[in-house]
Amino acid sequence: MNLARVLALAQREWREILRDRIYFLLAFLLPVMLMLVFGYGMSQDIENIAFAVVDEDHTPLSRDYAHHFIESRYFSFKGYLPDADAADRLLAQRKLRLVIVIGPRFAEQLRAGRAAQVQTLIDGTFATSTRTIQAYVEAINLAANTSVRSGYLARRLGLPPERVADLLHPVVLEVRYLYNQEVRSIWSVAPGLIMLILMLVPPLLMALSVVREKETGAIYNVYSSTITRAEFLVGKLLPSVTISCINAVILWLLATLYFGTPFKGSLAFFGVATLLYILCTTALGLLISLLVRTQQAAMIISLVMSIIVSIQFSGLITPVSALSGGNYAIAHAFPAMYYNEVVKGAFLKAIGFEALWPQLLVFALYALAVFMLCYLLFRKRTRT
Amino acid sequence: MKRPATDFPSLARIWLQQIAVLSLKEIRQLLRDRALFIYTVYIFTANIIIAAGGASNELRDSPVRVHDADRSVASRDLIYSFQPPRFRLAGEVDSAAEALRLLDRGEARMILDIPPDFAESLRRQRPAHVQALIDTSQANTGYLASSYAARIVARFSEAQVQRNIIRAGGDPRNLPTIRNEVRVWYNPDLNDKWFNTISELLTMVTVACILLPAAAMIREKERGTLEQLLVSPLTPLQIMLSKLLSMMLVMLCGTTVAIFGIMQPLYHVPFVGSVPLFFLLAALYAFTNAGLGLVAATFARNSAQVGLVVLLMVMPIVMLSGTWTPMESMPAWLRSLMYLSPLRHFIEVAYGILLRGAGIGLLWESVAAMAAIGIALFALGLARFRRQFA
Repeated sequence: MNLARVLALAQREWREILRDRIYFLLAFLLPVMLMLVFGYGMSQDIENIAFAVVDEDHTPLSRDYAHHFIESRYFSFKGYLPDADAADRLLAQRKLRLVIVIGPRFAEQLRAGRAAQVQTLIDGTFATSTRTIQAYVEAINLAANTSVRSGYLARRLGLPPERVADLLHPVVLEVRYLYNQEVRSIWSVAPGLIMLILMLVPPLLMALSVVREKETGAIYNVYSSTITRAEFLVGKLLPSVTISCINAVILWLLATLYFGTPFKGSLAFFGVATLLYILCTTALGLLISLLVRTQQAAMIISLVMSIIVSIQFSGLITPVSALSGGNYAIAHAFPAMYYNEVVKGAFLKAIGFEALWPQLLVFALYALAVFMLCYLLFRKRTRT
Repeated sequence: MKRPATDFPSLARIWLQQIAVLSLKEIRQLLRDRALFIYTVYIFTANIIIAAGGASNELRDSPVRVHDADRSVASRDLIYSFQPPRFRLAGEVDSAAEALRLLDRGEARMILDIPPDFAESLRRQRPAHVQALIDTSQANTGYLASSYAARIVARFSEAQVQRNIIRAGGDPRNLPTIRNEVRVWYNPDLNDKWFNTISELLTMVTVACILLPAAAMIREKERGTLEQLLVSPLTPLQIMLSKLLSMMLVMLCGTTVAIFGIMQPLYHVPFVGSVPLFFLLAALYAFTNAGLGLVAATFARNSAQVGLVVLLMVMPIVMLSGTWTPMESMPAWLRSLMYLSPLRHFIEVAYGILLRGAGIGLLWESVAAMAAIGIALFALGLARFRRQFA
C-alpha cells in the first residue's frame, strides 16, 4: 500500500466534500440537528399532565384527597368539573389526560371505616406514558390511603400516630436509584443518541461518497489509474471517518454540556471505543455503496438499515434481553447493541476497559471483517 | 373546422384533463423508479410490521437478584412474590460488591437486599427495612420497576397489617379504604402495538407526502424534462397540482393497505370513527405537506440531494410533533413552535378518528390549522418554483 497515493485520494475526497454544499451541510449539520431534535423528542419526563377533578362529595375530606394530586409536581391541575359528562368531553378533545372522579358519600364511608370509591379516567392513546401515569396515580392513592387509615386508627385505638404508621407499614421498601439518581429521562436518552447518530450518519456519508463517483462516472478514473483496490478503499474511508470523529466530539459536548448528562467513566476508553465503532459503521456504509448503483438507492438502504437497527435492535428503548429469538439474533449482528452498552457504561455506570473490553474486541473484528468483505467485493474491472 | 373552445366550462374541462393526464404520467414514472417504488411499498407494509414489534417501555421479565441475609420463611415469601410477567428471579448474590457488578453488566435490573432481622422485625411489629437497588440507566422503566416493587411489597404486607391491627385491639374489617379504580380509555389494555403502528404510519405518511412530490419534481429537473413541460401549454400551477394529486393518490393507497391490510387483521387496531372522514383529512394532510416537498425540490439539484433535504425537514417534524412522545414533556417555547407543524394537527385527527371516534365537530380546529398551513406552504412552493423556472 502506497501511503502517498492514499493521502492524495483522501485529500481529493476532502476537497470534494468542501465543494458540495449540501453534502458538507449534511456532514456537520445533520448530527447536531438529530441530537437536538431527538433529545427533545425522545426524552419523556412525564410531567405537566393536564388533569381535572370531579368532586361529587364536596366535603373537606374529598378536597383533601384531590389536593394530594394537585400538589404533585407531575400533574398540572386544570380545575374542578361539574360532572362526569364534562370529563368525557374534555378527554375526547384531548384537553385533559386524566380525570379523578370522587364518588358521593366519600367522606361518610371513610369516617364509618368502609371503602370509598374513586374513579380515575386516563387517556390511553399514548400507551407508554400512560403506564407511568398509572404508576403515579397509584403511588398518590397509596399515600392518601395511608394518611386516612392512620388518622382513623389513631382516633379509634388511641395510639400515637408514629405507632400507627409502624403498624400499617410492616415492610418499608427503601428504593435507591443507581446510575441516574434523579431518574431524568434525558440522562438515559442522550448517551443512546450518540449511538443512534453514529449508526446513522457515517454509513450515509460513506455510501453516498462512493456511489456519487459511480453516478458521475468518475469511478472510471479510479479503475484506469494505478491505485490499488485497498488504497482506494482506505482513501475513501479516511475522510469519512475523520468527519465522524469530529462529529463524535461535538455530540459528546452536546450531551454533557447542553443536556447536562454526567460523564462518569474514562474518556480514554470512550474515545477508543467510539473510534472503533465509527470504523464499523463507516465500513457498513462502504459495503452498501459497493452493492448499489444510484445515490438514491444507497441513501434509502443505509437510512432504513440504520434507523431499524439503532431504534429497534440496540437496546435504546427495549432492552435486548427482552427481544424474542429472531430479533435477538438481529441485534447481535450489528455493532449498535454493543456500543449502546459502551455509552451507558461510560456515561452513567463509570465502567471501562475492565468490564467492556469484549465489546472493543467485537468492534475491531467486526470492522476488519466488513472491510475484508468490501475488499473482496470491490473490483476494478467490471465482470462481463 | 372545430373552433377552439372559449367558454368557461370547456376551458375548465381541458384544464382538468391536462392535470389528469399529467398525474397518470407521474404514477407511471414512480412505478418505473425501482428504488423509490420499493421504498414506497416498504414503508406502508414491512415497516409497519417491524414497528409493531418494537419500542415498549413495558417491564417484562426484568431480572431481579436477591441478597437474603435472613433466610426465613417470611423472606422467601417476599422474594417469591417477584414473578413474571414483570419480574424474573435471576438468583441470589452473596455480597454487595457482586450485586453492583451484576447491575453494571446489566445482568440484573434490581437487587433486593433483605436484612438479617426481617422475620424478627415482622414478629415484633417493628418496620422491616428492605432495600431495592434499581438500575435507572433507562429512566422510565427504572421508575416503573420501583412502582411495581412497591405494589408487590404492599400486597405482601396486607396480611401482616391485619395481624398488627388485631393485636393492637382494632378490627381489620372495619378500616377506611380509598378504592381507586383506574379506567384507561381508547386503549384499555395498553396495547403498545396500536400506538406503535399508528405512530409509525403517521411518520411514514409524512415521509411519503414530502418525499414523493419532491422526488417527482426533481426527476424532471435532473433529466431536463422540466423545460419541455414549461414550453407546453401547461401552467406551473398545473404541473405542481398534478404531482401533488398523483402522489396523494399513492399515499392514500399505501395508507389503505397499511390500515386494512396490516394493522387491522394483524394487530386489531380499532377504527372507531368515520372512514371517509379519515381519508378526506389524510388527503388534506397530503396537500399540506406537498408544499414542503416542492420547496425541498427547489433547493436541491439531484435526487440524492433532495433525499437529504427531505431528511432534514422530516426528522424535526416527526420527532417534535408528539408522534412518539407526549407534547407535555417538551419546553413551552418548543411546544408553541410546533403549532406550525402540520403533523401536530394531523396526529389529533388520526388518533381522534381511529381510537376515539371523533367527528368533525371535535376536530375542526386541527382541520382549520392544517388547511391554513397547507395553503401557506403551497403558495411558498409555487412562488419558489415560478422564480426558479418560469
